[in-house]
Amino acid sequence: MPTTTATVILSSADLLSDELSLSTTMTLTKTTTSTGIEDTTGLNRKKITSTAKGTASGQVTLYTADDFAAIPYLYIKNLATTAGHRIHIYDNTTSGDPLQFQLDAGDWGFIPMHGDKTYKAYATNNPTSIEFMVMGQDQ
Amino acid sequence: MATTTAAVTLTSDLMSTNMSVSATTTCMKAGTTADGLDQMEYGYVDLPTGDEYDLIASTPTAGKASKLYLKNHSTDETYFIAITQNAQAIGKLYGGDWMFIPADFHDAAGDIAITANGGTNKICYALFHEGTALVTT
Repeated sequence: MPTTTATVILSSADLLSDELSLSTTMTLTKTTTSTGIEDTTGLNRKKITSTAKGTASGQVTLYTADDFAAIPYLYIKNLATTAGHRIHIYDNTTSGDPLQFQLDAGDWGFIPMHGDKTYKAYATNNPTSIEFMVMGQDQ
Repeated sequence: MATTTAAVTLTSDLMSTNMSVSATTTCMKAGTTADGLDQMEYGYVDLPTGDEYDLIASTPTAGKASKLYLKNHSTDETYFIAITQNAQAIGKLYGGDWMFIPADFHDAAGDIAITANGGTNKICYALFHEGTALVTT
């Protein structure tokens, strides 16, 4: 059985009066089991060339609804280094394409998704590079 | 300027060669790479079943940066919390799972709401931000 882990470390020496250090590791498993996930899209790197959501071309599809069984885990990173070059991630399944996450230059995110919604990304700057990967159980 | 870093490492033997992906970011205020987030909220609470609750009592200021860390500390792997933003489902955290999202929780509707399933879930959260509108009594 494959073993996939995700570790986060949040730290700061000067945000609080004492040092902040928070670390945790999770093993990615099939839903409600202790069996490890077996599928991944692999790591992707793409250029976003659209500066709007909707029907315009140039958005990048991060995940297609129901491609994986619940729970698919989404890792995303904005590779821009210029402040203000934001990536907006929106739900392309729900009416109105609501915005869900915004990543400024250098930001990353890790999201255990419901799996039933398509996520796409556009950016404030054309082009902006994004790195992403979905891990889970194919169906 | 406060300096708060968030680092993630993903490792797996899913593929024919071992995978290791790491990323680190310094949590910055919106639109800058020179001024770090300087405020935070932190909580470790029991989340009972039956109702949906606002995770964040105060409302981060519009157009400002927020980073949310949330972990489900339940040890029962069938327990989970459902997470919504602006009434849209964005994720589920089963026992032991965590998430880290950079987002713009700029109004009450855009806030994060959570619902426990299976039983009382114990959760830990940290919100790093650059200003909130406190809730008056």
